[in-house]
Amino acid sequence: MNVAAIQTHGLTRRFGELTAVEDVTLSVAPGQFFGFLGPNGAGKSTTIKMLTGLLEPSAGRIEILGQPFAAGALDLKRQIGVVPEGMALLGRLTAPEYLRYVGRMYGLDRKTTNQRTVELLDFMQLAGESRKLVTDFSHGMQRKLAMAAAVIHGPKVLFLDEPFEGVDAIAAGMLKTMLQGMLNKGATIFLTTHVLEIVERLCSHVAIISKGRLVANGSLEELHDGVVSSLPDAEKEQRLTLEEIFLSIVGAGGREPAQELSWLA
Amino acid sequence: MVGLDAGLLSRTARAQYAAMATLRWRMLANGLRSRRGAFELGARSVSLILFGFGGTMFGMVAGAASFYIALGNEWRLLPLVFWALGIIWIFIPVMMASFQEQFDLSILLRFPVSFGSYYLLYVVFGLADVSTILGALCLMGIWLGVTIARPELFGWTAAALVVFAAFNILLVRAIFAWIDRWLSERKTREIAGAIFMIFLLSLQLLNPALHQKRHVRPAKSMTQEQARELERESQQSRAEFFTRYGPWLKGADMLQQWLPPGLAARAVQQAEKAQPAQALLSLGGLGLWLLAAGGVLARRLRSEYRGEDLGSAPKREKAAPSRAIQLEAGWRLGGSSPIVALIEKEARSLMRTLPLLWALIVPVLMVLVLTSLFRGGVSGMQRISFPYALPLYVTYALLGFTQLLYNNLGAEGAGIQLLFLSPTPIRTVFLAKNLLHSLLFLLDALLAGILASLRLGWPSGVMLAATAAWVLFALPCSLAAGNILSLRVPFRINPGRIARQRGSQANVLSSMLAQLVMIIVGVLVFVLCWAWGDLWLAVPLFLMLAVVAVYGWARVLNNVDAIANRQRDALLATLMKDSGQ
Repeated sequence: MNVAAIQTHGLTRRFGELTAVEDVTLSVAPGQFFGFLGPNGAGKSTTIKMLTGLLEPSAGRIEILGQPFAAGALDLKRQIGVVPEGMALLGRLTAPEYLRYVGRMYGLDRKTTNQRTVELLDFMQLAGESRKLVTDFSHGMQRKLAMAAAVIHGPKVLFLDEPFEGVDAIAAGMLKTMLQGMLNKGATIFLTTHVLEIVERLCSHVAIISKGRLVANGSLEELHDGVVSSLPDAEKEQRLTLEEIFLSIVGAGGREPAQELSWLA
Repeated sequence: MVGLDAGLLSRTARAQYAAMATLRWRMLANGLRSRRGAFELGARSVSLILFGFGGTMFGMVAGAASFYIALGNEWRLLPLVFWALGIIWIFIPVMMASFQEQFDLSILLRFPVSFGSYYLLYVVFGLADVSTILGALCLMGIWLGVTIARPELFGWTAAALVVFAAFNILLVRAIFAWIDRWLSERKTREIAGAIFMIFLLSLQLLNPALHQKRHVRPAKSMTQEQARELERESQQSRAEFFTRYGPWLKGADMLQQWLPPGLAARAVQQAEKAQPAQALLSLGGLGLWLLAAGGVLARRLRSEYRGEDLGSAPKREKAAPSRAIQLEAGWRLGGSSPIVALIEKEARSLMRTLPLLWALIVPVLMVLVLTSLFRGGVSGMQRISFPYALPLYVTYALLGFTQLLYNNLGAEGAGIQLLFLSPTPIRTVFLAKNLLHSLLFLLDALLAGILASLRLGWPSGVMLAATAAWVLFALPCSLAAGNILSLRVPFRINPGRIARQRGSQANVLSSMLAQLVMIIVGVLVFVLCWAWGDLWLAVPLFLMLAVVAVYGWARVLNNVDAIANRQRDALLATLMKDSGQ
C-alpha cells in the first residue's frame, strides 16, 4: 500500500481566542506537486509551520512519510527540506559557509557537503558571489540560497513557503526546472504561493484554505469541474483559469478602493 | 494635504514627537498583555531602582567632596571631581555595553521626519540610560554640595553643570555612534584591532619606565630599619619622579583647564572669585566643546539619516577570479559532525557581529584601565599591593561575556528556524555554543589575568589555584543559567551595532542576579577561608561547588530540547522580529 507523503488529521492551531487553522485534514500522495492556496491571513503559513515543526499544533495529527511527526522526530527531519517564510538564513556567513553549515546540520559528511555546495552554487548562479556575506545579497539571491539550503541533503518531501516571492523570471525558471527534476525523481513538493500561474503550471493537486478552514481539495480538474457545475448552464462550457476558480471558491471579498477612498490620487 | 514644515518645533515635528511618545507608551502597555512583557516591566523597574540607588550613592560622595572643597576654599581640587564624573560618564556605557538596551530609532527613517527631529529624538530617547542616570545624580550632588557651602554660587554652578551634562550626553552618543561605524567595516575593524594590540603592548612597555621604583611596599617580615630605608628610597624616587615629570604634569594641568571638566570647574572657580566675565568665557568654552560633540554626532547621524544601514555595512572584497579558490578560501575546522559545523559557524558569526566582538575586547581593555587604579596613579601615593587582583579581573572578564552566555541565540536572527528544522538536537547546538564560549572566556580570562599580573605583580600560588577553582564553579553555573535565559528571555542582537540594541531588561536583570549569586558565593568562600586562616581551603570548597555546577549544567543541557520546544513560538517570534538576518 502506498502511504501518503503528508497526511494531516484535524490539524488545528489557536492563538489565544483566535483560531488560525481549524480542523484541516488533507493527504498528499508521494511524488505529488501540491499547491496550498489561500488569501492573506487564511492560515497557509501557520499550516506549513506546523507541518515542518516550527509551530506546535493545538490539536490534530501530522504524519510525514507514514510516521507521526513532532518536533523531536529527528530521523524524519532528515527527509524533509524547508524554505520557511523567514528563509532561515544567517546573514553573517557567506553562501558557501552557510551551505556547508546546513549540510552538516543535516548529517551529511564533509566531502558530500562540499561537493553539493559547489554544485548548488553553480546551479543557482551564486558561485560568483561566494565571498559576499548573505546579508549583502539581494532578496532574489537570498531566495535562491534558501532553496539551495533546503535541498542540499536531498529531501524526499520539500515544503516551500512563497519561494517565488521577489525572484526574477530567470531565477524562477531555474527553480521550476530544479523542482521538476526533483518531482521526476519521486520527491513530494508542498508549495504555498500567491502566484496562481505557477500553481496552474506546476501543481497537479491543490487545496484552498480560507479563514483557517479547508474549503477545497483535489486535482485541478476536480476543482475546475466543481466550480463549473455550480455555474448556470450557459456558462458550463467555458474553461476557467485557476484565478477564476480561486476567486469563485474564496470570493473576491474586497471593495472597489477608488469608490470609497476618494482622497486617493 | 498639510505641508510638511521642517522646523524642530513645527506642528509636524510636534505631532511626530507625540506619536513617538504614544508609540513607546503603547508598546509598553501592549507588552503587558503577555507574561513576559509584565516581567520585562518589573525587571525594568527593579533596574531603575538599583541604578537610582547606585547613582544616589555616587551623588552623595560627589556632593560631600564638592561641599568640603567649597567650604575649605580648595577650589583647585574641583576639577578632580568633574574629571572623575566625566570618566564615569564615558566608561560606564563601555563597561555596561553587555547590560544596556536602547530603542533603535532607525525605524523613523521611513517617515518624513526632519533631520533636526531625528537628532533630537536620538538624544532624548537615550536619556534613561545608566550613565545619564548616574551622571545626573552626581551632578545633583555636586550642585547641592557647592550650593549648601556657598549659596551665592547656586546659579553659576547650575549653569556649568547643565552644559557639562549636555556635553557628556552628546559625547557618549557620538563615541558609540562612531565606534559602530568604524567597526562595521571589515578593514577598519582589522585596523582598530591592530591599533588596540599596539596600544596594549605600548602600555606594557611604558609601565616599567614610568613606575620603576615606586611600587615597593614594606613586607611584613622587614625590620624597622629596613622599612625606614625603603621609605627613604621611596621618597627619593618620588622626588626624582617630580623632578623628571614635573614640567609634564604642569603642562597636563594647563591643558586640562581647557578641556570640558576643567572648563566647568573653572567657571565655578571664577564665579567664586567674582569674575563673571571670565566665568562666562569658561562657560562659552565649554559651550564650544558641547557644539563640537554635537557636531561630531550630527555628522554620523546625518549618514544614518540618509539611509546608511550599518547592519549590512561590512563589505567584502570583490569576487575572486577562480570559483575553486573562492570555495576553499578561509579557515575551516576538520570533521563532519554537527558540533564542528556549529562551532565553525559560531566563530565566523562572532567575528562578524559587533556587539559580541566588543564584549570580548572590553574586559581586556578595562583590565588595563582599572589596573591603573591600583598602581599608585595619583602622584605621591604608594602603590597598593592588591592580592585579590586576579579573581577581580577574572570575574570582570566573566561579566564581559554576559551577552554571549546569557543570550546565546540572540545573533541567530532568522537562522533560528534552521535549529528547529534540522535533525540536529538543540542540545547539540547548545553544547557547541557552550564549548566555544567557554574556550573564548578562558582565553579572555587568561589574557586579563596575565595583563593584571604584569601590571600588579604575579599572584600567589594559593590565589591562582583558588581563582582557577572558582572559574570551574562559576563557568558551568553561567552556562547553565545562560542556556535557560537564552531560551526563556532572549532578545535579537543587531549584528551591526554596539549601542542601540533592542534588549530585554528581564534578560539583563536575571543575568545580573545570576552573576551576583556566583560572585557572592565566591566572596563568601574567600572570606570564610581568610577568617579560618587558610586560603588553600578555598580550592577544595570551590572544586566541590564545581562538581555540583557541572552536574547542574549537564541537567540543563539534557533539558534544553524540551524547553526549546515549549518556548518555540516565542523564540521564533522574538528572534525573527524585524530580522534582516
